[in-house]
Amino acid sequence: MAHPLPSVPETRSNATFDALMWALSRPGLIRTLPEPGMDGLIDALIDSECRVHTDDETLARQIARTGAEAVPIAAADHVFLTAFPDAAPLDHLSLGSDLYPETGATLILPARIGSGSRLRLTGPGVDGEESLRIDGLPANFWTRRRALIRYPMGFELFLIDGTSVVGLPRSTEVELL
Amino acid sequence: MSLKSLTRDWEPMSYGFLDASAKREIRRKMLKAIAVPGCQMPYASREVPMARGWGTGGLQISCTLLNPKTKVKVIDQGADDSVNAASIRRFLARVSGAPTTLDTLEADLIQSRHRIPEEKLRDNQVLVLQVPNPEPLRPVQPNMSIARQMHADADYGRMWLQLYEQILRAGRVMQGASYPSLVNGRFVMTPSPIPRWDVPKLHMAKHLTILSAGREKRLHAVPPFTRVEPLVFDDVPYRVEEHGALTCTRSGARGFFMNEIPQDDGSSAFEISDSEYGVKTLRQRDGEAVTFGDTWYKHGEMAQ
Amino acid sequence: MAYVATRGGERAIEQSQRLYRAEMGAITPERVAETRRALPYLIDRLMGEASLYDEDLAALALAQTGGELYEAVLLLRAWRTTQPRLQVADPVTQDSLLTHRRISAAFKDIPGGQILGPTLDYSHRILETAVLSGETHSPDPVTPADTPAPAQHPSVAAWQADNDLLTAPEPDRTTGNDIPDVTREPLLFPAKRAHTLQSLARAETGGVLALGYAAQRGYGQAHPTVNELRLGEAEIQVRHPRGTMFSAGRVKISTAEVVSKQGAELGLGFSATLGWNEVKVIAAATLDLNADGAEKGSPTEEEFFLYHTEGVESSGFCNHFKLPHYVTFQSSLDAMRDAKAKKAQQTRTPEPAE
Repeated sequence: MAHPLPSVPETRSNATFDALMWALSRPGLIRTLPEPGMDGLIDALIDSECRVHTDDETLARQIARTGAEAVPIAAADHVFLTAFPDAAPLDHLSLGSDLYPETGATLILPARIGSGSRLRLTGPGVDGEESLRIDGLPANFWTRRRALIRYPMGFELFLIDGTSVVGLPRSTEVELL
Repeated sequence: MSLKSLTRDWEPMSYGFLDASAKREIRRKMLKAIAVPGCQMPYASREVPMARGWGTGGLQISCTLLNPKTKVKVIDQGADDSVNAASIRRFLARVSGAPTTLDTLEADLIQSRHRIPEEKLRDNQVLVLQVPNPEPLRPVQPNMSIARQMHADADYGRMWLQLYEQILRAGRVMQGASYPSLVNGRFVMTPSPIPRWDVPKLHMAKHLTILSAGREKRLHAVPPFTRVEPLVFDDVPYRVEEHGALTCTRSGARGFFMNEIPQDDGSSAFEISDSEYGVKTLRQRDGEAVTFGDTWYKHGEMAQ
Repeated sequence: MAYVATRGGERAIEQSQRLYRAEMGAITPERVAETRRALPYLIDRLMGEASLYDEDLAALALAQTGGELYEAVLLLRAWRTTQPRLQVADPVTQDSLLTHRRISAAFKDIPGGQILGPTLDYSHRILETAVLSGETHSPDPVTPADTPAPAQHPSVAAWQADNDLLTAPEPDRTTGNDIPDVTREPLLFPAKRAHTLQSLARAETGGVLALGYAAQRGYGQAHPTVNELRLGEAEIQVRHPRGTMFSAGRVKISTAEVVSKQGAELGLGFSATLGWNEVKVIAAATLDLNADGAEKGSPTEEEFFLYHTEGVESSGFCNHFKLPHYVTFQSSLDAMRDAKAKKAQQTRTPEPAE
């Protein structure tokens, strides 16, 4: 029987989401995006129902084409940052509420995966414990994250390094070793 | 700019039936569901070409995840050959070209109503469970807004009270399927109407489980390696159905969840509920080389 | 065990659908056209519940399902949900409607006048059995009025607001994509006003009637007076990408305002839907009127009536009980037998008395 064929963007979004879904399901394990960078995430996740914040002009243009509303960081459900010199923006992220935890934001940051600070991860999705090296984030990033998250309130984090992606849901305990 | 530039080229049907915006919403909600295990995430739940209550929640998840290489297995009450499973399998293949399989070991994605296969799922498999009622608090609180507040407050006292009253009245917890379970120590969820036999399979499992209720417009998830603990009292242990010693009259398989078939003489015969596991057992008996996966239950007991 | 059965299941499905359609014969363009012409009120009801205004598609859905209304609505909803959303039309106001019928039970006469319009309200319900013995029943032609009624009318509630009889609702200035859309976001409670009105607009007529009737009989706090019932046509004004506004056509709509005395003022309930469907809008406006302050779990509580009048969901769920449930049943049997055995054991070995 003839069936519809996936378009190129459909195939890319499908593969991007597969990487994101497994990245968040298994925190700390590195997954592979079909294409490097954040563009694919925007196509897979963002449309006119989203409120998005970014510091990058090129990304901002791509986001505008999806119909999403450009908003300050505190009002955003998705935050794409390309420069992240200090952890201050974390304080503005939406953490959702006990009633609606899902309104907590998703933060997408560039990082170097595999070098730098050694982290120990525990929590759902982690078989015992997982260790991970992350570089390129401000020194107080992990302590700020820990201070902000009041589970089930919190935010999700995707770290992007070329085609590599790591996901850290709010449920993951991160210990800086 | 013209009117045409506002729209896409006309296609008789989107790939996987759902349009891109419906898929994006489901993706966003699935990520949040994985991030907060057991917490019900509201979603718009589009209409699909199948009636509400017939697996439309699971269908929307499957339609979002599918690509032409995803091997799909669909079961209903444990069976691949039930009419509804056949209908959903045919629909998924029709809208995506995805190959289908009956073998749990071969599947990338398993959409199921009311059962988890007997063979252990791996860390690259997704189990999509169809959910009629996502709210475990419904029996004690039918109002959705109040129930949501109770989840926010982790106020599960009335749940416990209900179980306690059952023990008082009947000498045991009377909950059959859909046994309420605490996920990651925070949210009480319904595991969907799977038998009690199947609930321990979710605890610290390797696979990802997505539970989706299309009619009620809620989805929740159990990520891999996540605690799923049936609500029990310390001194009244959790008990699965007493099927461990039963034998399938057709295949000879023993120690798995069974369907009871009433007989003309007033007795009961039993048939294995996981139909494909039964088929494999039969084929092995006929001398075929068959690969069985590791099973959760061994000799009728949940392996520790 | 399953090889044959699997294919057997698929064959059974195929044959069951053939059986369903066997008596109906071929679906031809002529049949669809005749359905559309002969059953405009059924088409209207269907378009309202589907929240899709397309008479041809609605007629096709009726032809394809043999008039199984729940199936027809689901067909249209499933089609609708995959269509791209090009534009959000300009808001339509009551005083801009091209009015065919407008009646008020609150006043003997109203500014702009009562317009009886098309209705069977005062017909004698007698079957034209002669048609069955071969005669043709042709309705008598309409005699136009000497002076046609004006096409546009203000709402009765607007007059009452001007006369301090009720507080007009705060106008909602939200436009375009910012208007909450219940088909693209989840319904949560307390519901957004737009979600409430949209849900009622696409609710199942019978369900709305049942709950609205319950409220009218006394399970609601407010006894409704039909302030204004209107059947009309609304102009769909959309913006061309070049910037100019143009009319994309007209759609038939029904609106109802119902009021009741609440202290020194009138309380107002409102409903509107696509197509002409009077019972639905009166019942829905009654529910809207009663929703404020309704007790949790009562039929006039918003959560209660919005959930239970959603026809695609309620009919689907009701039908799903036909699906096998033997796994859950087995699980219950196991618990029941064990409880029974425990009880039997207890009666055999009574607890020793203290």
